[in-house]
Amino acid sequence: MRTAKLALALAAGSAGTLSAQAMRPFTTFRQLHGESRLQARLDFAAGQLRVVPGRAGELYRMSLSYDADRFVPLSHYDPSTNAATLGVDRAGGGFRVVSRSQLQQDAVVELSPRTDLSLSLSLGAVEADVELGGLRLGDLRVEAGASRTALHFSQPNPIRCRTADISAGAAEISVLQLGNSHCDRLRVEGGVGRMTLDFGGTWTSSQVAELSLAVTELRLRLPRKVGVRITMDRFLASFEPAGLVRRGDEWVSPDYDRSERHLDIALRTTVSAVKVNWTD
Amino acid sequence: MRTASRLLLAVGVLLALPASAHAKTTCMLSRVSGVFETVRAFVQQQIAPGPQRPKPQAVEAAPAGGPSVDLGDLSKPEVVERQLRTAVPTPRSDLKLTVPNGQARLGDFTIGSAETMTGHLLVLGGDANVYGKLLGNLVTMDGNVVMHPGGVVSGDILALHGDVRDQGGEIGGEVRTLSAVTKPPIASDTASTRSAVIAVGRNVAGVVGVFFTLLALGVGLVTFARPSLDVVSDTASHSFGRSFITGLIGQILVLPTFGMLVVGLVLSVAGILLLPFAVVVFVLLLILGVVGGYLAVAHAIGETYTRRRMARGTAIASANSYRYLLTGLVGLFMLWAAWAIFGWVPVAGEMVRAAAVLVTWLVGTVGFGAALLSRAGARGNFAGRLIPPEALTDEYLWATPQFGVPAVRRPESGPGARPGHRSPLDR
Repeated sequence: MRTAKLALALAAGSAGTLSAQAMRPFTTFRQLHGESRLQARLDFAAGQLRVVPGRAGELYRMSLSYDADRFVPLSHYDPSTNAATLGVDRAGGGFRVVSRSQLQQDAVVELSPRTDLSLSLSLGAVEADVELGGLRLGDLRVEAGASRTALHFSQPNPIRCRTADISAGAAEISVLQLGNSHCDRLRVEGGVGRMTLDFGGTWTSSQVAELSLAVTELRLRLPRKVGVRITMDRFLASFEPAGLVRRGDEWVSPDYDRSERHLDIALRTTVSAVKVNWTD
Repeated sequence: MRTASRLLLAVGVLLALPASAHAKTTCMLSRVSGVFETVRAFVQQQIAPGPQRPKPQAVEAAPAGGPSVDLGDLSKPEVVERQLRTAVPTPRSDLKLTVPNGQARLGDFTIGSAETMTGHLLVLGGDANVYGKLLGNLVTMDGNVVMHPGGVVSGDILALHGDVRDQGGEIGGEVRTLSAVTKPPIASDTASTRSAVIAVGRNVAGVVGVFFTLLALGVGLVTFARPSLDVVSDTASHSFGRSFITGLIGQILVLPTFGMLVVGLVLSVAGILLLPFAVVVFVLLLILGVVGGYLAVAHAIGETYTRRRMARGTAIASANSYRYLLTGLVGLFMLWAAWAIFGWVPVAGEMVRAAAVLVTWLVGTVGFGAALLSRAGARGNFAGRLIPPEALTDEYLWATPQFGVPAVRRPESGPGARPGHRSPLDR
């Protein structure tokens, strides 16, 4: 009986100790001193990341809670190039298995809505929620590993975005309201996973999208007000045109030629499923 | 008497209050409660012993070769913290520390509005109040940085185990705060313990569930396919090594075989129609081979154990295949049960789990190999050249060979012996 009690007490104590992950808070920010542009690079190896537009008087701010045993915070700014690197990186080198407890790390990154932004996101085992609406986004680059990422353009981009490059490994990515991004060119490379590209939003110019996907379930949400043309190079891939009309080697929306703005999608896909939905 | 009547009056007044007044009273009560709470917290703060702040003083530079901390690069706060932990002893009295291109202070420190300091500043165990200008980096340890209106720090600020309060100052560089490791609250500890206990319960339930599922399958096999199960079980017992190697090769060849099957069916035009059925049948056969083989090995283990006990003289009421299977499965699931209960133990739990996985794989491989060798029990003389089929009897396997006087006394050689059955001595 005594042994059983001892074992139970030991179990309870050890279980408590095991699950009590020691996290360390870290905060960094930089005041805005008239900088007109910012090259922000966010490296986040594991955990939850949220990116939002920041405060008026700050160039950037990161509030981080990280696992001090396995990771180190990244916080560096180069005034000569206006380049900031933020996030967490693995402590030491080598391969480390990321456990669920390490995913308890979380970071909130605020970026100035006053400076022209060149944003680069490198995400490992991350659940990321990135709000780009309201930021002055000049170009965007996203590299996602085994992540679940949602990119929102909930407000129109005040400036013109040159390119948005999204590269995903085994990931689930949603890019919402791409019409608000005002990006001239969208390039997407997808590995195994699921991807949603929502081209809704306020369209001010035409866009070109180059999608290269393998073993991916792609859901395209297309606005009716924009002329859509899809050229496809597919192998063992299903495609549900849902109202698109075949014209030679391409699929077009019925009013493509009459539309003022166009979305031209070049889709190369292997062992994938492509579904089309229409939004108003 | 007067007091009692007053109390009654008060109660009567309270009861007579309308509902709206009740709401106002609640609001007022909450405000009063808030005030009391504030006062209580203030008093507690005054009574409780706070951290001992050192008397403000300058820290002398250490002699050559003594402790030194460079505050030129604050981009890696954990490195700076480590250096300071090494360089600054506890307690901090009689501290000597060199800060290249700067100075160190102990206790609270203020840069006046008319002052301009050049070089890095390290403040230990106190707050740094900046009204004036600091042309360099500022680091505090166990203290806060307060940037007052008009205060300027041209470089970076790092607050270790403290906070940076910007009340309108100007900071040229980057601000970083690195706090101490957060300890989970007691409530969360309780919740964690509860969740750990729940996890143990879930693991136990899972193991028990799998055990009973396999037991049910095994009972089905014994009931409906006992001869085949016996043959596979005996194959595993007597050709353990061959079964293991066959199972291993079988595992390696499963995918290529499947691929060849699919390609073969696709190439033969008529076979395309059979492809879905062939895939389903292949998968079912594979599952049957592995699970049935596993159960057969469990049966073999149980049989071995039971017969050895019987050989030692233990009386066992019903030594049949059901018992063998149950005994074998219990034996095989001991490791999983140990993992389910003690899986939370840091290193040992993982080791037990690894052992359980290894044993399960080994048993599955042997069982799969035995099923392949005996063609799922259809081939009775599985042992081939090693053991002749006629020698494959329980007596040959398990009965203790008896020679001499005990053999003579065996019932078979006595008056009740069956006709035509000879004892070993008669041969």
